[in-house]
Amino acid sequence: MSMFAKQGGKSRTGRLPSLVPESVAAIQMGIALFALLAWETVARLFRTDFWTSSPSNVMVELWRWAASGLLTSDLQLTLTEAGLGFLIGSAVGGLIGFILGWNRLLGNLFEPFILSFYTLPKIALAPLFVLWFGIGITNKVMFSGMLVFFMVFFTTYQGTRQVDRDLVENARLLGAQPWDIWTKIALPYSAVWVFTGIRIGLPYALIGAIVGEFVAAEAGVGFRIKEATSFFNTAAVFAGLIILMVISIILLGILKFVESRALGWQSAKGSIQPETQT
Amino acid sequence: MGMTALTMPPLPAHDDRETVIDFQGVVARFGGLHAMGPTSLTVKRGEFLAIVGPSGCGKSTLLNMVAGTLKPSEGTVRYKGELVDRINHNVGYITQKNFCLPWRTVEANVRLPLEFRKHPKAETAARVAAALEKVGLKGFEQAYPKQLSGGMLQRVMIARTLAYSPDLYLMDEPFGSLDAQLRTRMHGELLKLWQETGATFVFVTHDLHEAITLADRVVVMSKRPGRPKLVVDIDLARPRDVIDVQSDPAFSAYFKRLWTALDVH
Repeated sequence: MSMFAKQGGKSRTGRLPSLVPESVAAIQMGIALFALLAWETVARLFRTDFWTSSPSNVMVELWRWAASGLLTSDLQLTLTEAGLGFLIGSAVGGLIGFILGWNRLLGNLFEPFILSFYTLPKIALAPLFVLWFGIGITNKVMFSGMLVFFMVFFTTYQGTRQVDRDLVENARLLGAQPWDIWTKIALPYSAVWVFTGIRIGLPYALIGAIVGEFVAAEAGVGFRIKEATSFFNTAAVFAGLIILMVISIILLGILKFVESRALGWQSAKGSIQPETQT
Repeated sequence: MGMTALTMPPLPAHDDRETVIDFQGVVARFGGLHAMGPTSLTVKRGEFLAIVGPSGCGKSTLLNMVAGTLKPSEGTVRYKGELVDRINHNVGYITQKNFCLPWRTVEANVRLPLEFRKHPKAETAARVAAALEKVGLKGFEQAYPKQLSGGMLQRVMIARTLAYSPDLYLMDEPFGSLDAQLRTRMHGELLKLWQETGATFVFVTHDLHEAITLADRVVVMSKRPGRPKLVVDIDLARPRDVIDVQSDPAFSAYFKRLWTALDVH
């Protein structure tokens, strides 16, 4: 069986043989297995498991975490924090970005303030949020929401500002009332940018929740990682990281699915030509 | 016969068709720049008028004033006797720019003006279908703009205008970005459309061939500040074949005369 797809004479994209998808997946699995194996080997051979732990130790730790029932409650808490923060941040960021992006006057008015916030490393606000919202769930939701807000807001604002003003004028000539301009042109146009912002902002929801838990918390995946570090339990730290990785991958998958549904036109491919008339 | 039209002053005794556009001493100033005018010009119902002139002479400005997107700094513009002082919804405006909404299919793009104008649903579908058929886009209803070529996008723009059947078509170099062959074909289609709709067409271009091939009357604008410098009636037989008409001896005579007036350096 050949790993390479058969190249038809029609291909115009050079001579590089392309891999068939199944072989790509197989190779990727191979790489992952090799990495795990190398990790385990190094940990055992050089006794580095105090610093690096090892896949087997991490698995044991994951099992223990799950068996204690804490994994479920930690996951629930962290996902709630990140999820609520994500929803609030996206909604508010998308809305304000949309309004300031479309309304030139307001946009110009607020631009210097927006820019001064843009450069601020938002993570630095975490301690302040503890002061404002305590060490409970509100603090993490607000912090995660704030991070997401800025990502979605900036992307939507900048994208929406680029709209072709002639397009709007053309719509007015076609008979569009202000309401039509908002609903039939501005909103769909901005949707692309809101989605782009959401895609960039999604990981920040999780970052916000985790950082919030690092700073002050009593439970959650981030809290567990910090706790394990203070007990020098490297395996538990890695267990926490793996959980975070799995969450992010699942979230991105969901987002891609939603996006392909909402913005189906973007994936329309190929060019359609009329049959040539002679 | 065409030649006599050139040597005789081309003044029809009277034209009792309704005046669709009436420019009276319009002037356009942008900041301190005197861009166009004073210009006085009338266009009759059903006429195909072409406006030619060097870039920056205010050809497009004239169209914008009829569409109501630009107010004259001086003078007045009337549409069927009524002062144009806001967006004029009776016009169809087609430029070389493609204003298709990328998230809408061809059909949904053509439907757009009918949605804006709140046409009844049943009538809308029929109008959209007829417009698409007329520009040869039948079968492409569900395609997205990004899948279409430049010529087809331009057809979508024309269909979108046709869908709400305006009385007046304003065209600002609509075929400027198309290649020569496609352009010639579009000329043929446009003339057919003009004849079928009986609408008034004002066509801005800097291509004299295009102007003579299409128009009943060609206005040559001067350099900035642009003013009508020469108005020539194109007395070539209708219906015109866009290829044959170019070999008519009168065609080249018109061309020479307009070329001289255009004063290109």
